[in-house]
Amino acid sequence: MTGHDGALVVEDLHVAYGEAQVLFDVHLTVPAGSLAACVGRNGAGKTTLLRTIAGFLRPRAGRVRYGEVDLVGRRPYEVARMGIRYVQQDKRVFADLTVRENLRLASYATGDWDWDVVFRYFPRLKGLLDRKGGYLSGGERQMLMIGRALLGRPKVLLVDEPTEGLAPAVVEQLGQVFEELKGHTTMLLVEQNLPLVSRVADVVYAVKEGRVVAEITDREAIRSGGVEAYL
Amino acid sequence: MDLNLWVSGVVYGLSMGSIFFLLAAGLSLCFGLMRIISLDQLLYYSLGAYVAYQVNVSTGLTWPAMVAGALAAGVLSWVVERWVFYRIYAREITFTMITSFGVLVAGVGAIKYVWGLVPRPMGIPVEAQVAVLGVNIPLYRLIVIAIAAAVYGAIQWLLNRTIVGTAIRAAVEDVDQVEGLGVDVYRLFTGTFVGAGVLSGLAGALHGPLVMVDPQMGLEVVPFVFMVVIIGGLGSLKGTLVSAFLVGQVVSLGSLVYAPLAQMAPFAAMLLILLWRPTGLYGSTLLRR
Amino acid sequence: MKGRVRWWAGILVPFAALALGRWVLPLPFLVEVLIFSVYTMACNFLLGRVGFISFGQPAYLAAGAYGTAFYLYYFGRDPLLGILAGLVSGTVFAAAVGLVFVRLRSDYFALVNLALAVIVYHVMQKVLAPITKGDNGLWFLDRMRATPWVDLTRPEGFVWFAWLVAVAVWALYKYLDDTVFGACCLATKTNEDKVKFLGYHDFKVRWTAFTLANATAALAGSLYGVYFGFVSPEMASAARAADPVVVTILGGTGTLYGPLVGSLAYVGMKDLVSGVVGNWEFFVGLLLVVIMLAGERGIWGTLEPWFRRRWAWRRATPALQE
Repeated sequence: MTGHDGALVVEDLHVAYGEAQVLFDVHLTVPAGSLAACVGRNGAGKTTLLRTIAGFLRPRAGRVRYGEVDLVGRRPYEVARMGIRYVQQDKRVFADLTVRENLRLASYATGDWDWDVVFRYFPRLKGLLDRKGGYLSGGERQMLMIGRALLGRPKVLLVDEPTEGLAPAVVEQLGQVFEELKGHTTMLLVEQNLPLVSRVADVVYAVKEGRVVAEITDREAIRSGGVEAYL
Repeated sequence: MDLNLWVSGVVYGLSMGSIFFLLAAGLSLCFGLMRIISLDQLLYYSLGAYVAYQVNVSTGLTWPAMVAGALAAGVLSWVVERWVFYRIYAREITFTMITSFGVLVAGVGAIKYVWGLVPRPMGIPVEAQVAVLGVNIPLYRLIVIAIAAAVYGAIQWLLNRTIVGTAIRAAVEDVDQVEGLGVDVYRLFTGTFVGAGVLSGLAGALHGPLVMVDPQMGLEVVPFVFMVVIIGGLGSLKGTLVSAFLVGQVVSLGSLVYAPLAQMAPFAAMLLILLWRPTGLYGSTLLRR
Repeated sequence: MKGRVRWWAGILVPFAALALGRWVLPLPFLVEVLIFSVYTMACNFLLGRVGFISFGQPAYLAAGAYGTAFYLYYFGRDPLLGILAGLVSGTVFAAAVGLVFVRLRSDYFALVNLALAVIVYHVMQKVLAPITKGDNGLWFLDRMRATPWVDLTRPEGFVWFAWLVAVAVWALYKYLDDTVFGACCLATKTNEDKVKFLGYHDFKVRWTAFTLANATAALAGSLYGVYFGFVSPEMASAARAADPVVVTILGGTGTLYGPLVGSLAYVGMKDLVSGVVGNWEFFVGLLLVVIMLAGERGIWGTLEPWFRRRWAWRRATPALQE
């Protein structure tokens, strides 16, 4: 399972919603196979960043590259098909579709019908296949979202606040999943849960009011909880 | 009122409802999936009728003429989707509505140009009558009802049993999420739009023999179809079916009671329902004003 | 005082220019432009200020026209009273209909209005045929009595009357723009809930705006009635429902002069092109699609910022355009 196709690189990124600029001159590099975390308060622009990388927003200026490939200007489904998958915030799965149908849709889109990878990370989903998305708990929905995104062997995962509102046990589980995914999947994680970030992140970017105010590449500093200082 | 009138009134209403359903289903699906009000569906309805008429007049065939009408409507809708709607999906709903209205008006103008203003009679495929509860009913009307029921069944099967249907149901909930999985949603849009066009064309072709084919037919049917759509709620297939048959019955039985007011009755019913529930009976509050 | 003069100048200057056209343009063209721009102003106000899109303007046009027609055909002879009758009937109709329509969301609103136009057409053509004479229409040209000073029964006199009415309508809408009511309308377009929170009665604002706008459309209908001395169901034809919308957007939605500029362009195009293009309706529809795809700011919508920079007009509220 090769995932070492390249780094995810964001350069000079300026993003605006109409007249209101939200991101200013953002630089970010996620080395292949590593997990970068993006931390910051609500409204800092973190979700905007992920959405731009995924292709849902067009930047006013700047570049987004995966390896040598330029991502700006591509439709979101093209970006997804390139192996860069966006896992939205707010635990959004299709409420009216069963877990099985959710997964089938993802399989249909990627051509990957081998669900073993999903059940390996999230065995709980196996028992929930016939339950409708609207009847899943928050944690189960998050598992389904990430499970869906894993189909098609993605090279990059953009995950937006996965642990928000989840019980500590589930957070622990997700942390483990991220650890296992590292190495063959590049990940950019937006999180407000600093203990989790301290545990799994290789690089941390602090975002404030649309700008990157700090880039911490020292793993020692991250593991020992040095991230707090930057916020 | 005697049984004769009741039975034929109900059947008449059901066949009207069937036509309304075919037309309204297209509108409803386009709204549910793409958040557009595709007023140009009325154009595909008219075109379906006219092409069916033309083929019938030129070749004498009846059922193939209907198919031709539906297909012609499908082709036109495909062209319009690619050239016009494709560019404007992201825009807000009033924008697409105005644009689709432009397409409708332009198309009706073109129809007037080609076929003129005079209404044309269209040959009915089946002349036979069948006895229902001892009353003679035109077989054709029963066939129309059967076709509508079959279409409903087919759409439900598509939505619930195929992967494309799953994609559509998902996209109705959240298009971006579907696209994020890697699905080309634009192909989904095109397919649905053309599907709606074919249904509208079929409605026109089927309706042709029952009324005369005339350039205004697309607009004449407007109050009824809109009532169906509003009462049933945009985006709900079941709601569309129920309200289509409801409106059909009100028109039919209403005209038995007092003819001139037949067209007004559904309108009044709709206003009452809207007073009670501004989004229709089954409609979603997905859109704010 | 200076502000007042400037305010009035803003209206009188363009209309004076138009009046000068009396000696250059054909009379029927000028009358058509004046009446049509009043008709379009209604649609412009609804779409640009309140955020309602109506494909049913012919219904209200017909309400006014038939009000005038009934009066002049069955009752009186004074064209001025006829116009008043049309205006009153149109206002009452709009107010009644508005009670239900105004609560609807914008897409339902548009659908329901279009349905209304079709129904009004059907009613005038068939249902009320005994009194409307169906497709034959009501003729009352000969019944009308000449009016003093400005004779409405003759085109030369009518054009000045129409001009006065148009100026009055413009003054009214310009005034509204500067009032709290005008601001409320604009506010309800963008955010209903906020308007409620601010203490304004959201429904009342919209209902009043709706009634006012469609009363204006009815007024245009009355003017048409008196000018032609004839009214028929064709006025309510839904096929013509696109016209005011096209002209509104063509001129520039939400701008004060959009309807005037749009009408000039539209009626002008119609006269020039009708002879050449086989089917005007086709052209109208095509025009609408093209305008929408091209950017929907319209003629005046595009020119106005340029004008504004050159002359630096003061405005009461930055959000409202001239």
